[in-house]
Amino acid sequence: MIQFIFKGIIRDRSRSTLPIIVVSIGVFLTVLLSGWMKGIFTDMIDMNANFSTGHVKIITRAYAENESQIPNDLALLGTDTLVPLLQKQFPQAEWVERIQFGGLLDVPDKNGETRAQGPAFGKGIDFSSPESKEASRLNIQHSLVQGTLPTKRGEAIITDDFAKRFNVKPGDKVTVFGSTMDGSMAFKTFIVSGTVRFGSTLLDRGAIIIDLADARDMLDMDNAASEVLGYLKTGQYNDEEANAIRDSFNTKYSNPSDEFSPVAQTLRQQNSLGQYLDMAENMSAIMTFIFVFAMSIVLWNSGLLAGLRRYTEYGIRLALGENKGHIYKTMIYEAILIGIIGTIIGSIIGLAATYYLQEVGLDFSSMTKNVTMMLPPVYKAKITPELFYIGFFPGLIATVLGNALAGFAIYKRKTARLFRELEV
Amino acid sequence: MNNNIIEIKQLTKQFPVGSSFFTALRDIILTFDKGEFTGLVGPSGSGKTTLLNIIGSLDTPSKGEAIVLGKSISKLTHKEAAQLRNRHIGFIFQTFNLLPVYTVFENIEFALLLQHLSAGQRKKAVMEALEWVGLTDKAKSKPAQLSGGESQRVAIARAMVKRPELVIADEPTANLDSENSHHILKTMKQLNRDLKVSFLFATHDEKVMQYLDRKIILKDGKVVEDNVLEAINL
Ligand SMILES: Nc1ncnc2c1ncn2[C@@H]1O[C@H](COP(=O)(O)OP(=O)(O)OP(=O)(O)O)[C@@H](O)[C@H]1O
Ligand SMILES: [Mg+2]
Repeated sequence: MIQFIFKGIIRDRSRSTLPIIVVSIGVFLTVLLSGWMKGIFTDMIDMNANFSTGHVKIITRAYAENESQIPNDLALLGTDTLVPLLQKQFPQAEWVERIQFGGLLDVPDKNGETRAQGPAFGKGIDFSSPESKEASRLNIQHSLVQGTLPTKRGEAIITDDFAKRFNVKPGDKVTVFGSTMDGSMAFKTFIVSGTVRFGSTLLDRGAIIIDLADARDMLDMDNAASEVLGYLKTGQYNDEEANAIRDSFNTKYSNPSDEFSPVAQTLRQQNSLGQYLDMAENMSAIMTFIFVFAMSIVLWNSGLLAGLRRYTEYGIRLALGENKGHIYKTMIYEAILIGIIGTIIGSIIGLAATYYLQEVGLDFSSMTKNVTMMLPPVYKAKITPELFYIGFFPGLIATVLGNALAGFAIYKRKTARLFRELEV
Repeated sequence: MNNNIIEIKQLTKQFPVGSSFFTALRDIILTFDKGEFTGLVGPSGSGKTTLLNIIGSLDTPSKGEAIVLGKSISKLTHKEAAQLRNRHIGFIFQTFNLLPVYTVFENIEFALLLQHLSAGQRKKAVMEALEWVGLTDKAKSKPAQLSGGESQRVAIARAMVKRPELVIADEPTANLDSENSHHILKTMKQLNRDLKVSFLFATHDEKVMQYLDRKIILKDGKVVEDNVLEAINL
């Protein structure tokens, strides 16, 4: 019987072409959009993790309260013992120290007089240890517009927007003014080794990146750091692992009554990333739901039209002794066959398009110029194993639902009526 | 067991028309024996198709009873009626009604598919039915490639392939020319004789009359005449 139905579908294009096209398009969009949205959210989360939150972040309780002000007077102390401790206790993660600071960037002229000045956001990261992955974590090499990464102490990277605005080139000097941990004035002059553009307006507005040791020097932060970030060695954020580290750390080392005691936070707890994580997780489900809904309606209607055209066929089959339940069942089998064919076609095209967007991506950076969120510059898709099968949910549910609804109208018709339609 | 395969007792059929009813058949009393070759004759609207549909278990009586092959039509469930049609009753229509996407072979095979016969059994039965109607060479053709006469012969094969007790034919010659009409009538007559299948026609067609061995005239839903005839012998 299945063979009989299959022949009918293959030979009668009017029965199969439109539904297969509808299913293919729906599945294609489901696969592509799931993969793409997943990619975007994953990139966004990774970018946040790399630049700001880590997978787990350790700061002091007091710093946590006023984090946006970068209060280095409340920075973590004794990181020379804290970091080795973390490495030992939580070897599943890599632990890095960072210093954040706010300050004034001063560009001197030939005579050392101020030529231009502007506020800047500073970051001290570990450029110099040979095992440090910080430069690649921040994707600095790929973001370079001019010059090179710092190769020695006393060199700095500044954002290209800033460099353009103040007409600074690699090799020029800039002086950073800030305040030390205990509130006195701090300044240090750096040689610009290169300029970068990350593609995120928030990061590109005005930033200077220097070596952690230089930052310590300048800000009097020996054995101190604004934050210690933990990155899971799997490279992927994972709630369970991050929570385990946080909980274990907080019970052992965090004292709620001491505002200088360290406290661990997971990525989910910061920058409202929890929401985005959930969206990334549920993207396939959301897309599947949307397309099941949209496609069912289209298929229901096309099924009704096809059903009307096939009243004659149903009438003949009834006369030949097929019962209505059986006819209804064959309509569902037809739906399943069409759903499978459409899903396979749609999934192949969808995966191909997703692969293309994974490798190439679409550049939306000009559109997101004024967005203050940390967004990736190029929106890339991500092929995940589930993309290979999620198409079957909308593909099959929608065709079966569409045909079931359409078939119901036929099912409810009286045998004699269906049959009578044979004669006209 | 007696010889009668259809027994119609005081059968009335009414169709709802607006808020009242139209009576298409009125107090019909008829019996049919096994092996008859009978025609229902009468002007358009006299109720021929309505009566055939009830006998064919596609419709049910409003009043009275129609007992077909020992089963009371009004008491059958939808499934039982389908079963009765599938096993015991063959249909032939004025407009042939072959399924256009399927080949001649597949059209004939369909009823057997519903009976869950094996592929070998199906093939044997279909080829035999094609032999009866002289179309073995058209097994792989599509209905669109057949002439009207050939199509109707395929329809006969489709009705006959399951070896039914009864074949119901509603105006089987109305869309055929004279030569083809005679051809298919001869074919049916032969099957009637050789396989002892009962045939029940609805027709206006004078050509059909000479083949009938019983003619029932309907008028306004009533039987007005019921005559046994001297049919041509082949
Ligand atoms: N479903 C229905 N609803 C209302 N009236 C119907 C229905 N079916 C048949 N009728 C009416 O019943 C009467 C008998 O119809 P039927 O089709 O049995 O006639 P017939 O003898 O087969 O005519 P023809 O020779 O034109 O085929 C007609 O007047 C027809 O309009
Ligand atoms: Mg009629």
